[in-house]
Amino acid sequence: MQNHEKEQDYISVQGLHKYFIQRDSEKLQILEDINFGVKKGEVICIVGSSGCGKSTLLRAICGLDTEHSGTVTIDGEEVTGPNRHRGMVFQEHRLFPWLTVAQNVGYVLQGLSKEEKREKVQKYIDLVGLHGFEKSYPRELSGGMAQRAGIARALVNKPSVLFLDEPFGALDAFTKISMQKELKRIQKKSDTTMLLVTHDIDEAVYLADRIIVMSERPGKIRRIVPVELTGHRDRNSYEFVAIRKIIYNEFFDESNGE
Amino acid sequence: MSKSAAKNVGYIAEYMVLVVTIIVVWIVMGSTGHLNPVIMPSPGKVGNTIVSLVASGELWENLAVSVLRVLQGYLLAAVLGIVLGILIGLSHHLDRLTALLIQLIKPIPPIAWIPLVILWFGIGESGKIFLIFLGGFFTILINVIDGIRQTDVKLIEVSKSMETPFLKHIFLMVIPSAAPNIFTGLRTGLSSCWMCVVAAELVSSTTGLGYLIMNARQFGKTDVVIVGMLTIGIIGKIMDSLLRLAEKRVIRWK
Repeated sequence: MQNHEKEQDYISVQGLHKYFIQRDSEKLQILEDINFGVKKGEVICIVGSSGCGKSTLLRAICGLDTEHSGTVTIDGEEVTGPNRHRGMVFQEHRLFPWLTVAQNVGYVLQGLSKEEKREKVQKYIDLVGLHGFEKSYPRELSGGMAQRAGIARALVNKPSVLFLDEPFGALDAFTKISMQKELKRIQKKSDTTMLLVTHDIDEAVYLADRIIVMSERPGKIRRIVPVELTGHRDRNSYEFVAIRKIIYNEFFDESNGE
Repeated sequence: MSKSAAKNVGYIAEYMVLVVTIIVVWIVMGSTGHLNPVIMPSPGKVGNTIVSLVASGELWENLAVSVLRVLQGYLLAAVLGIVLGILIGLSHHLDRLTALLIQLIKPIPPIAWIPLVILWFGIGESGKIFLIFLGGFFTILINVIDGIRQTDVKLIEVSKSMETPFLKHIFLMVIPSAAPNIFTGLRTGLSSCWMCVVAAELVSSTTGLGYLIMNARQFGKTDVVIVGMLTIGIIGKIMDSLLRLAEKRVIRWK
């Protein structure tokens, strides 16, 4: 963690409300008064049960969804839509099935010479550990490999911020843990600001600098928990488990025992 | 013989068995005198006719004329069908504007157009090509529209969020996604075009396979009729196979 305390927030979410209009034209509140800031280089995890509006919140912040009140600014500019300088990783890999891994990763790049493009693509394919699979089509990859390709695609344009919507939600437990390690390694190397939505408490404690805990219906910020773990995060260390317990207790009442 | 080779022979046998059976039954019925040669000539007679039609060049001439007509009408149908299909598939306004017209014209068989086509174009080449075009166009158009419409919205979102330039979005995202449907349209469209060329030539022509068949009927030459029919079948099958091959080459990701 770096010392950014005095610095202004890189991403700022203020007074964000969102409603869905239901069939009987009744308003259903999805998000209620969301306020928080993210510093440059910070990793924020948004944790909540499914249906709490955490993905909706992420879509609002990255600009995929603009029908809400309140403001979202990134680097001082209001977000009015997505742009190619912000990376996105979804739960499904969302690779284009008709393009190879290299073509998928390079899709976002514009105005580069062939050689520059090839070098960049190769760099990020290597970074996510997919060397040798440049010419494979997505259907030839396993779930974890496809998600790596998705991460390489999101990173190749050097995004100022990376949004991840339950990126490892569909992976098996082993792949998931190794992907979390990879993501942490990549984040440290690139110092990218990251906003990650998850329902996996362990994942949040492992990755985040701060964890935003959300309550459901309507989705509100219940609590923001700083994760003050330095160096390597051992999932079984006392400090790690202590933070996990704080988050866990936000969701499940432990007072009457197991 | 290895196991897989034996399997292959099995597949080929299965593939051929119906056609071979029909030919055998035909030969047997012909040689036992169960066929009236005026209505249904024997295979031997048809074989002789093939040889003489090939030798005289008559078959090639008529075949070449028909193939050329099909290719012209089909090419026109394919280009317009794909371009308009993409535009309509992308624009909801254009779709609403054209949907009713397309749905009304589509069920009219191209043969029903023949009287008008003769009046409009006369009995020259352009009328026939127009008819062939009609036969292929709607099939291709509708398949392309469907294909574009079925593009995964999640993938569109990815491409849009990367601020992909319009043409790149069309060529690297929209068209590949619709490619399987486009090929289905191209293949069914081609067989419609073959139906139309024969219909057009049956009515108003002095060349082509349709003419060959119609002319032979008037002289009671059923052997020539059958040779004409077989030729259409074989050429149609070959063209379809070529399209399948192209499809496999283009859609490598499946």
